[in-house]
This record gives sequence, structure tokens and C-alpha cells, in this order.
Amino acid sequence: MPPFQSNTNILSLTEDLLVRIYEILVSESDRKSFRLACREFLRIDSLTRKHLRILRIEFLPVLLHKYPRLQSLDLSACPRIEDGVVSLLLSQVGPASNSLRFGNWTRGLKSLVLSRATGLRFSGLEMLARACPCLESVDVSYCCGFGDREAAALSFAVGLRELNMDKCLGLTDVGLAKIAVGCLKLEKLSLKWCMEITDLGVDLLCKKCVDLKYLDVSYLKVTNESLHSIASLLKLEVLGLMACPLIDDVGLQFIERGCPLLKAIDVSRCQGLSSSGLMFVVRGHGNLLELNAGYCLSELSTALLHQIKNLKHLEVVRIDGARIPESSFQVISANCKSLVEIGVSKCVGVTNMGLMRLVSGCINLRVLNLTCCHSITDAAVSAIANSCRNLVCLKLESCNMITEKGLCQLGSFCLLLEEIDLTDCCGVNDKGLEYLSRCSELSCLKLGLCTNVSDKGLSYISSNCKKIHELDLYRCTGIGDDGLDALSSGCKELKKLNLSYCNEVSDRGLGYIGRLEELCDLEMRALNKITGVGLESVAAGCKRLADLDLKHCEKVDDLGFWALAYYSRNLRQINLSYCAISDMALCLVMGNLTRLQEAKLVHLCNVTVEGFELALRACCVRIKKVKLLATLRFMLSAEILETLHARGCIIRWD
Amino acid sequence: MDHKDRFANFSAQNPQKWEDPSVLDYSSRIEPPLQGNPGAQIKFPDPLNELLQASKLQDWDPAAMLNNLSFLEQKIHHLRGLVHSIVGRRDRVSGQAQPYGLVAQQQQLVTADLTSIIVQLISTAGGLLPYVKHTPSTQSATSPSLGQFQPQNGGGGSGGSGVSELQNSVDVSTNEEHESKDEEDGEELGENLFPGTYEILQLEKEEILAPHTHFCTICGKGFKRDANLRMHMRGHGDEYKTPAALAKPNKESSSEPALIKRYSCPFTGCKRNKDHKKFQPLKTILCVKNHYKRTHCDKRYTCSRCNTKKFSVIADLKTHEKHCGKDKWLCSCGTTFSRKDKLFGHIALFQGHTPAIPLDDTKGSTGICDPGDSSEAVNKVGNMDMFNFSSSVDVKGSIDDPAGCFSPLNFETCNFGGFHEIPRQPFDDSESSLAFLLSGSCSYTDKSGED
Repeated sequence: MPPFQSNTNILSLTEDLLVRIYEILVSESDRKSFRLACREFLRIDSLTRKHLRILRIEFLPVLLHKYPRLQSLDLSACPRIEDGVVSLLLSQVGPASNSLRFGNWTRGLKSLVLSRATGLRFSGLEMLARACPCLESVDVSYCCGFGDREAAALSFAVGLRELNMDKCLGLTDVGLAKIAVGCLKLEKLSLKWCMEITDLGVDLLCKKCVDLKYLDVSYLKVTNESLHSIASLLKLEVLGLMACPLIDDVGLQFIERGCPLLKAIDVSRCQGLSSSGLMFVVRGHGNLLELNAGYCLSELSTALLHQIKNLKHLEVVRIDGARIPESSFQVISANCKSLVEIGVSKCVGVTNMGLMRLVSGCINLRVLNLTCCHSITDAAVSAIANSCRNLVCLKLESCNMITEKGLCQLGSFCLLLEEIDLTDCCGVNDKGLEYLSRCSELSCLKLGLCTNVSDKGLSYISSNCKKIHELDLYRCTGIGDDGLDALSSGCKELKKLNLSYCNEVSDRGLGYIGRLEELCDLEMRALNKITGVGLESVAAGCKRLADLDLKHCEKVDDLGFWALAYYSRNLRQINLSYCAISDMALCLVMGNLTRLQEAKLVHLCNVTVEGFELALRACCVRIKKVKLLATLRFMLSAEILETLHARGCIIRWD
Repeated sequence: MDHKDRFANFSAQNPQKWEDPSVLDYSSRIEPPLQGNPGAQIKFPDPLNELLQASKLQDWDPAAMLNNLSFLEQKIHHLRGLVHSIVGRRDRVSGQAQPYGLVAQQQQLVTADLTSIIVQLISTAGGLLPYVKHTPSTQSATSPSLGQFQPQNGGGGSGGSGVSELQNSVDVSTNEEHESKDEEDGEELGENLFPGTYEILQLEKEEILAPHTHFCTICGKGFKRDANLRMHMRGHGDEYKTPAALAKPNKESSSEPALIKRYSCPFTGCKRNKDHKKFQPLKTILCVKNHYKRTHCDKRYTCSRCNTKKFSVIADLKTHEKHCGKDKWLCSCGTTFSRKDKLFGHIALFQGHTPAIPLDDTKGSTGICDPGDSSEAVNKVGNMDMFNFSSSVDVKGSIDDPAGCFSPLNFETCNFGGFHEIPRQPFDDSESSLAFLLSGSCSYTDKSGED
């Protein structure tokens, strides 16, 4: 931010101009600085803010008061959303409140994210759906307890256009019918894993919601009948059929003749399909942009290939797991000029020659997935680097023959590269990382199992790739404390770090990790040199830490856990399995960390049954998922188990 | 419709149904091939029923067909063995006069087995025929195509071949639930019998309602069926055990055309009473019984499932009970459907109609707590004295009462209502919780007590 202090006129700007300035600020931290500048700016912030994602329910009433123009509310990261909370929110600050000072927060709300809100039930949902007249988008995915009653409640939101009900396991055709009849304007609907849905429900949906543009019925036990119904949707653009075991080529024949606007179809892992089924789809939809057929073909047949070559606009094609004749690449390269993404992971027949031919034509490729294409070498990578200058994402996991030569080419030509997966590429060494570090846009780097990488290589990356968000150093045994020193001073934006099994890392290294203020996801399994001191420095430094995996860190003592309970107030997931945590420390961690939603607590040798009981009682109001040893099942009190169950908590007995 | 067709149809009903001796006579006249073996007659409807039920329940199933065929094969094999042994025995005892009873018995056995094999063969093949599969109820009562199997000459003693008779009885037996009504309804279609061309019989009320119509002349025990009486009689002496005594009493009337019998209801003023201006006669004794009970008697049988529907004929109750409670697919307009696809078809057709969600169903199937439950759970959490298991403080609260509802939140040291100011420093927060755990005192209770 430029210094405004010198310019006294900034406050004389009219409100709308200030709003425009505010809207230019994209990053959340910049906006924070803006609203902290002065009261006027704070007022602008509260007037303009449209989206809110909160982490603690306690603040919600105040925030709803503060932001009257809210359009989108995300409660997915916030535990303890319950019917009672909803009724309170609506009565205190909502339409039923008498206070005229504050606007009615529900009036303008368009989008509501309630993913994993397992505490919510139909009555709360119904209150929300009725209170928000403009509601257009609702996400209740992964609310496993949701069923027909919740669907009925949602159907009161008559203006609904987008609805995500993934993994609402109780949803049946009846609930779907409620939504289909209630929300006639529905354009986007996702029903992944709603296992009770049958052809009847899908048929009714297609008859009622004729405006559907996006429909995902992945993993459902629907048959060709459903495809027959879906084919009647004239506006459908995106169709997700992943892992529908009961559909076959006959069903795709319906799709060939229907859905005139279809742009993207995902039939990956549909075991009943063959090439001829896909040929129907491709033949009927010359304007297809995206075709995902991973793990459903045994071979890319010539007949299918000749159909695919007619797709002049095709941008994304994934045929993972198939056998690909080398000549296919030539055909694709010569015809599908607009390809942006190609996925051939685990394909048999991907060779250097094939890839060279492919990239000679498809120069616009941005995403290339070559996972487990074992036979490719630096020659292929060089060809890719030379042709596809716009490459953004390259996945080379298990491509053992890649060496620094290939990375040198990437570092020279693919300067836009943001993501590269080099997991298990044992040819990658420090020199290779030095070349790669020239890709200054790199934000995600995966080096798992690259044992030839040392602190030196990491320091190259750290000093040049300032934008790294995610770094995977799983079992990079060459990495030690010095590498982490370099990392923490260079990659300040690091959010996700995996240090599991990096045996050399000690408390000193964790001290450096503590300097990464943005870090929110840290996995450090089996670091047997670290103690409570190291954990304390991480907990004290990484304030945003939300996900921590300490499995098998057996030397960490209670001191570290106490510090964790004391500092890491934002922690959402924790894995403490095989740790030497005591009763007291466990209770403290579980009771104090008020945002904790998921905990894995198996094989805690120092914790007694009473300790578990206490710890669970301390967190039972907010925990959503807990993993425990099966033997505890009969030792814990029935009361706590019932309470956890009643609050929607899932217990995984190991 | 030709009345002979229907006539034959009725005759094909299980003789068990007929309790009046006169009717029995009548049936015996057109079922000569079956006369000899009442045992076989009683025997075959059961496996047949199963077979047909199977073909009714699902579409043609090659696996079931294979099953049937291998069953038949087994049976034929078995029968061949039997005949073989008979032949062998006859050879051994040739020259001696065989006792008449043994021969007859063997004959009966073989005939019975043969007929049952034939019937099964037909029904197996019948599973393939569309009309048998799709519309068994209407076809059996009215279809002329079935008439092909029936004796064209209704009165002819030799008319009905055993097979066709059996086929009919099979069809009827699959429709047992409809049969009583069909008979009466069939009457409504109107017979073109001119008055005087038939004999009108009128049973008295007591006769109609009498549970048993066959009484043992020796001990006085009553039976519903003559066949059962004859079986019973065997206990009274060897003279009742001869095949002649066990066989149906055969009236010599088959040669002369009998006058058609029709029945009148004893209830004066009833349309089925012979004195009524537009008298419509009842066709069989069973019709009379069902008519009288349905129209002029109390409905004594109440459905145990819905406790609302009442019936005077127990068969009607049984028919109802088969379907009662199955209309669980309910539309918001109040219409119920026995099948989900019918409901969905209805909903697709009418705008604004939605399926109704049954109240108790949801709870059971999806494990969703109703509001009462969840508030209970909330209270339970509120009540749970976190760190002092022995004492339980009874916190009263309900979903309507915010304080009660948020009692779990209080535990977390945050006052939902009191968040108008900047929240406390996390340090204070954690310090207090640290202190509480170390000292083991329950400082949270104090905190929740504050508001």
C-alpha cells in the first residue's frame, strides 16, 4: 500500500470512489490493512463487503450487524452451526429483530455455504431458506445426515439456481422430487454419492428442472434410464457420470441424440462403458470442450480416435489408465489444436516419441499429467518445454528417468510453470532444483521421495521461488534444519508443508518453521528428533495453523502439547496418534482448541480411558470427526458416545 | 360372451370351494377325468400355484424355467421308476389275481403324477405366453383365448380333457383374491337367461350362514367339504375305506341335460330376491353366501393393520390385508399410491404436487433426529457436568430459549449474546482454561453462571 498519510485529500474522496479503490484490493491481507487505516475506511469496508467466511460462530451476530450488504456467507469452516444458532441469528439480527439500526442480513443473501454443517437439521435449514428470499446458491455437501426432510426444507428457496448436495446420504428420490418441484429455476445440481437416488428421481428432476446446465450424478446407481431422461435436458452443458457402474454404451447413445449444448462430460471410472459408447457421445457433440474418460477404457481405439479428431474445440481430454497406440498422439496433435489439458497418467504406450509428436501440434497445452508414464525421459520433457511455453502444471510422478537436464529445459522455457509434481523421481537432485528455481511463478512443488535432494537444492528454490504455497518434502531424507532455515526466510507465503519422515529435522528446524506465519497445514510424521521445544516454536509462530499431523512424533512431551493448546487457536484437524501425550495434555488440547473439528487419537500409550472420556467431553460440542481405538468403544461411557452421535460427530473405530 | 365359456370356467374352480352337494354333483358331471382321483386334485394346485406366482411376480426368467424343467425331469424319472416297479411286481405275481384296491391305487397314483407333470409342463410353457403373464385376472375370467382350453361342450361328459380343466383351475387359483367378486360382478354383465329356463333355488338364512354343510351321520361332526367328511368316515370302519366309498358319490345324471340352477337371496326386497321386479339371480352357492354376507350381514372382520376397514367376508379381509398399508407413497395432494413410480408419474404430470415425507419414516431410515430429539441432545450436553461426573446439575433449557440452547457455548467461555465488544484476548482465555485444568476446579460453571 502506498503511504496515504502525506495525502490529506484521500478522505475527501467521495464514498463511491473509495469503494472503487477498495474493490481493486484483491488480497485479503490488503483489505485488512485498508479497514484498519481509519474509521472511514472501516465504514467503506463494512458497506462494500459482500462475502464472509467465518471461523467462529461467536462472532457471527456482530459481523452480520457490521456487514449489511452481505451476499455470500460461508459457514463451512465453522463448527457448531445448529438449528438453535440459526433461530437465534434470525431473531437477533434477522428479519424478526426489532432493531432498525442494522439492515436485515438475510434480505440480500444470495449464497450460503453450509458444507459439513453436520449439526444443522431441517428446521434450521427451513428457517434459513424461508428467511433469505434472494437465495440462489446453497452448498450442503458432506452433510452426511441430510435426507429428504432437509431437501424439503431447501425446496422453500424457490429462487435456487445452484445446489450442491454431495454426500447427503439420506437423500432419496422423494427429497429430490421436493427440490425438483420446489426449485424450478435450478441450473446447477450436484448429487455425488447420494446413493439412494434412482432413475425415478433423476427422471422427475429432468422433467421439472428443464433449465439445468450442470448435473453431476457421479457414483450413483443410476442406469441407462436416467441417461434417457437426462438427454431431454436442452440446456445441459456439463454432465458428471463418474463411477456410475450401471450405465453402458446404450445409455450414451441417448446422450448422442440429446443435450444439444453439452460441453463437458465426465465418464471416468464407468466400468460398463467401452470405446463405442464414447464414440456415440463424441459423434453427437462436435463442440465438446471437455472429455474425461479416465480409467474407463482399456485402449484408445482407432475408431474412437478418429471421432475425437473431429472435436476441433476440444480443450481438455483425460484418458488415464488406457493403452495408447503411439500413432494416436500424431492424430491428436494434428487435429485438436485447441487442447489445453491432457491427462495420460498410468497410460501404457506413452513414449518419448509419442509425446514429441503431441506437443509439436498442441502448443497451447497448459496442463499435462504424465503420472506413472515410466518410459519417458529428459528428451520428452525437453520437447514439452520447447513447445509448450504456456505450461502451468506438469505432473511427472514416478517418471524415474527425469534428470536435471529435463528440469534445465523447463527452467529455461516454461517460465509460467506454477505446479510441478516430481514425487518419486529419483533423478531429481540439487542441480535440477537450481534449474527449476528459474520458474519464479512456481507455487506448488512436490518432491516426495526425492532422496537426492538436499538443503542446498531447497535453498535454490527458497531464494528464487517466492510464491511457493505448497511444498512436499515427504521422505526427503537429505533435507535438514539448514534447508528449513533457507525455506523460512525465502518462501514466506508457504501455506502447506510436508516434512514427514525427514529424519534430520530437529527442534532447530522447527524453530525456523515457526517463522512461516502463513503456514496452515503442516505434516511432520515420525520426526524422531523433535521434542516439545520444537512443537512449541511451531505453535507459537504459525498462528494460522489449521491442520497438524504429529503421528509418531514420539519424543514430543507435554510441554509441546501444552504450548499447542495455548497458541494454536485456529487448529481444525490434528493427528496425535502414537504420541506420548498425557491425559492432562490431551484434555487441554481437546478442550482449549475451540476450532478443532477432527482429531485422530489412536495408540496414545500414556492416555487412560478416563483421559479419553474427559477429552471427549471437553470437545463434544464442536468435534465433527474423531478416530479412536476400537477397544475404547466399550470402555467409554454411553453418555459421551450418545452425545457425540447426537451432535453429528462421526467416530471412526480403528 | 358365451355363457358356456364362463360356465366351464366356474366348473374349473377347485371343487373344494363348493360345499353344496348339488353343486358338487354338477361339477362332477363335467370333470369326469378327475373323478377317479380326488387325492390328485387336492394335490396339484399347490406347486402349481407357486409356479404361477413366480411367473406372475417376475417376468420370464430363464433360470426359473431351467429349474422347472429339471424338476419335471426328476419327476418323470421318478414316475418311470414307479411304473417300472409296478410292471416288475405284476410279472412276479402273474397268475395270481391282484386285489382290486391295489391296482386302482397304483393307477390313481400314476394318473395323478402324470397329470401333475402335464400341468406343470403347461404352466412352464404358459410362462412364455404373454396373455398368461400379463393379464391373468381378466383373461381367466373373460378371455375367449382361454376358452380354447375349455370344453366346447359345457355339458358333455367327455368334453373336458384333464389338461384343459386343470389349466383352468390353475388360472382360477392364481386369482383367488378376485374370484368372489368376479363371480358377482360377472353376474352383473347380464345373462340372457329367460325366466323359466332355469330352476330357482332359495336357501334360508341359517343355511347360508351355517359354517358346516356336511355332517357325519354317525358322530354328528360337521365339515365344510364333503371330501373331508369322506376322509373322516374312514375312522368309523373298514367299509368306508373302499375306493368306492372314498370316491365322489357319482350321480347318474350326466347323460340327461340338467336344468340350469340359479339362486335367490332370502332377503325380501333385495334385487337378488326372486320376488324383486328386476330380479337378478345368483349363479352359485358361493355367490349366494358372499352376497348375503356382504349385503345383509354385519361387517365383523376389521383389518388389524388400519383398524378402519371392515368386512363381512373373511376372504375380502384377506384381500384387503394384502394391500393395506402398501399405499405408502403419498402425494402432497393427498392421493396415495402403492408404487413409487406411479407417484412419480403423478408428480411429473401435475404442477406443484410433491411427494409427502412420512413423519416416522424419515427418522427410522435416515437416522435424522426430529426437533424434539435434537433439543434433547442439546440439553443433554448442557446438562453434562463436564468435569464432575458424580454431580449432575440440571440445566433447563429448550430450543426456544436461547440461553438454554447455548449452554454448550457457555462452556466454551464465550457468551453468544454478549459479543458486542472486541472479544477477549486469546491469552486471557487460555490462561483461565489452563488454570482451571491445573487446579481441577470447574471455573466454567462460574462463567456460564455469569449470564
